[in-house]
Amino acid sequence: MNLVAKLLPPGNVVLDLPVSSKKRLFEQIGLLFENHHGIARNLVFDSLFDRERLGSTGLGQGIAIPHGRIKGLKDALGAFVRLAQPVPFDAPDGKPVSLVFTLLVPEQATEKHLQILSELAQMFSDRDLRDALAGAPDAGTLHRLISAWQPDAAGPRQAAA
Amino acid sequence: MKIVILGAGQVGASVAESLVSEHNDLTVVDLDATRLRALQDRLDLRTVTGSASHPSVLVEAGIEDADLLVAVTQSDETNLVACKIASRLFNVPRRIARVRATDFLNDEKVLGPEGFEVDLSICPEQVLTDYIVKLVEFPEALQVLDFAGGRVSLVAVRAYRGGPLVGHPIRDLRQHIPGVDTRVVAIFRKDAAVAPDGNTAIEANDEVFCLAATKDIRQVMRELRRMDQPVRRVMIAGGGNIGLRLARALEDDYSVRIIDHNKRRCEMLAAKLDRALVLNGDGTDEELLEQESIGEMDLFVAVTNDDENNIMSSLLAKRLGARRVVALINRRSYVDLLQGAQIDIAISPAQATIGKLLAHVRRGDVVAVHSLRRGAAEALEAVVHGDRDSCRLTGRRIEEIELPPGTNIGAIVRGEEVLMAHHDTRILAEDHVIVFVTDKKILPRVEKLFQVGARFL
Repeated sequence: MNLVAKLLPPGNVVLDLPVSSKKRLFEQIGLLFENHHGIARNLVFDSLFDRERLGSTGLGQGIAIPHGRIKGLKDALGAFVRLAQPVPFDAPDGKPVSLVFTLLVPEQATEKHLQILSELAQMFSDRDLRDALAGAPDAGTLHRLISAWQPDAAGPRQAAA
Repeated sequence: MKIVILGAGQVGASVAESLVSEHNDLTVVDLDATRLRALQDRLDLRTVTGSASHPSVLVEAGIEDADLLVAVTQSDETNLVACKIASRLFNVPRRIARVRATDFLNDEKVLGPEGFEVDLSICPEQVLTDYIVKLVEFPEALQVLDFAGGRVSLVAVRAYRGGPLVGHPIRDLRQHIPGVDTRVVAIFRKDAAVAPDGNTAIEANDEVFCLAATKDIRQVMRELRRMDQPVRRVMIAGGGNIGLRLARALEDDYSVRIIDHNKRRCEMLAAKLDRALVLNGDGTDEELLEQESIGEMDLFVAVTNDDENNIMSSLLAKRLGARRVVALINRRSYVDLLQGAQIDIAISPAQATIGKLLAHVRRGDVVAVHSLRRGAAEALEAVVHGDRDSCRLTGRRIEEIELPPGTNIGAIVRGEEVLMAHHDTRILAEDHVIVFVTDKKILPRVEKLFQVGARFL
């Protein structure tokens, strides 16, 4: 099991969420963490927006990995959202974003958290996985795809990089 | 970024204009449909006619998707209520309001999280007062701007024939004032930017922008221009909000005369001012000006709310012998027409005001922005984050950084320390970097420099 799968409960995978902007996406993500984990939605919302201000977390190719530090959080937590319509995200390639992995980490972030981000970036640079995620029929399949992904089996693209 | 602007007046229109070119999605709300149409004809944006603080109007303007609300209508109350509603009902992450009345500004609670939830309040009258006070303190400068909490200053001066630096290359500056480090970050010659390096020779009439630690700024200015006589006597035409603030700020240290045409306003001014001399009359009245020894004035400032009046009275004052005249001019075309001719300094209130606001719109951790040369150029201060991998500035020497042409890193503030940027200065995380950009078209590329990569935590 990869690092990412450990922090992604199956309930935190949402399919075809209808939002019209980055702001509404963050609202929905805040709501998700509030409902599932009891973290105040505004805390999540503000934390994600503050990070975004320093530079977009868009990776390109329609992927974003918004993340933020949350005071009082014990362990890192993730959520994966596939959007019904892509939204503008200020990504380096200028493309709107439709696959979004959100990562919340404790206020005192560690090397491990950087590794998680790094693994996320690596995971989403895998074109086959991206295509599979975009085409998956339900949340269960999405969750299985992410859990089954292996860092060292990332395909020739990754090996070249 | 999705931005909703409330109010299509001078400030609203200037804000819209400076943001519209940068891939932002703008909607402007105003009660006046004609005004909106004029704006829409000129700029690529959406408009909504209606009352700016009404939730239904805000929804129509797309507030639910907005990243930023800029409330700059004429009414403080409308702006405050709009911010509160935007926060409470629509969760807009950042809210900026124009607030004029000092009553609202005196207590933090009014604007704070328990109050109207305004992240940043802008008071144009105060910004303009500060601007003019600097001109009184530094009579050689066209403009003096602060960075890094006042530790660094940017000064603009006009080089004149016979001045100490004209005809000499910039590097001579260092020999003239060996103990002082300063950097010429931009030179504008006949309205075109000249990229300065050590060998660039300054010519008469050049507009020279120079950065230095604030403590050194007087010495630098003395080098750029022969020291003008310090200001002692100031005459202010117009006793409105700006006139009054200005008179109050200056009356203890200078001899101040203030003219207003409204008798009752004059009585009010007299009650609020301790030392300044209040005169009832017209700033364009030649006889009055002469009677009040206009020829002995070191500075004449026209700050009525009427452009034409300000232009005429300052032209008249100049002809009657006032040493330096400053006019507040709202219309952009007038500013371009008059600055540097008979009027020494033409100030566009909207341009002077929007800098604070732009700091919130620029991408990256931008702390301060000053919009210069009628919005064509910009000086900004931003904090650098991350490391060599996640940011294009961090850990690098200036000479290693690929700067877009027309960009000049002027200074670095590291904690309390002010460093002038040299080719071998290394930028570290958490440094405040001050950059001069001669053409706003390259701003998106400059913003990119300060942004961290997606993997920065």
